[in-house]
Amino acid sequence: MQVYETGYLILPSIPEDGLSAVVDKIKGLITKEGGNIFDGEEPMKIDLAYTMSKTVGASRYVVNEAYLGWVKFEMEPAQAVSLKDSLDKVDEVLRVLLVKAPRETYFTFAKAQAALEEKEAQEEAAKEEAEVVVE
Amino acid sequence: MKKNYFKENKIEHIDYKDVETLKKFLTPHARVQSRKRSGVPSVDQRSLAEAIKRARFLGLLPYVSR
Repeated sequence: MQVYETGYLILPSIPEDGLSAVVDKIKGLITKEGGNIFDGEEPMKIDLAYTMSKTVGASRYVVNEAYLGWVKFEMEPAQAVSLKDSLDKVDEVLRVLLVKAPRETYFTFAKAQAALEEKEAQEEAAKEEAEVVVE
Repeated sequence: MKKNYFKENKIEHIDYKDVETLKKFLTPHARVQSRKRSGVPSVDQRSLAEAIKRARFLGLLPYVSR
C-alpha cells in the first residue's frame, strides 16, 4: 500500500451547496478503486495565480478562481493509475494533482490560517507594548 | 555559513500547499531561486523545486510574473 494525496480544483460555476456532491463523487471514485481515505480538507475558494481553461463538451470555461480541496488515502500503486484517468474525466473538476505523500499530515490550510492569525495577534500586542513604552 | 530554513522552522515535509513558505524561495520573476541564493541542502532544494512545480500546476503560484 502506498499513501497518496490528491489536490483538486473544482470549477467556480458549481454553486456552494453543490460542492459536497462533487467531493463525494471524487471520494467515491477513490473508494471504488480500493482506496482507504483517512485525511483531507473541504474545498474552499481561492484566487488562481493565472487563468486556466477547461472544455466540457461544447462549452469552454475560462476561470480566474476555483475551489481547492485535497484528500489523503492509501491505495495499491496499480490502482492509482486508473484512478488518475477516472479523476481527469470528472466534468466538474478543473484540475487534479495525484502525488505520493507521507502518512503524517504536516500542513493543512486550517493550521496555516491559525498560525497566521496568531502571528498577527502577537504583532498587535507588540505594537501596543511599544506605544506604552513611548508614553 | 549556509542556513537551512526548513530545519530552523522545523518543517519536516515540504508541502505543495504551503504557499507562504514556497514564496520565500521564488525570485521576483517567480522563478525558483538558485541553490546559491536559497542556501538549503541539496535534498531540500530538490523537494522544494518539486513542491513549487506542483503548486504552479494547481494555480497556487504563478509560472511567470513581471
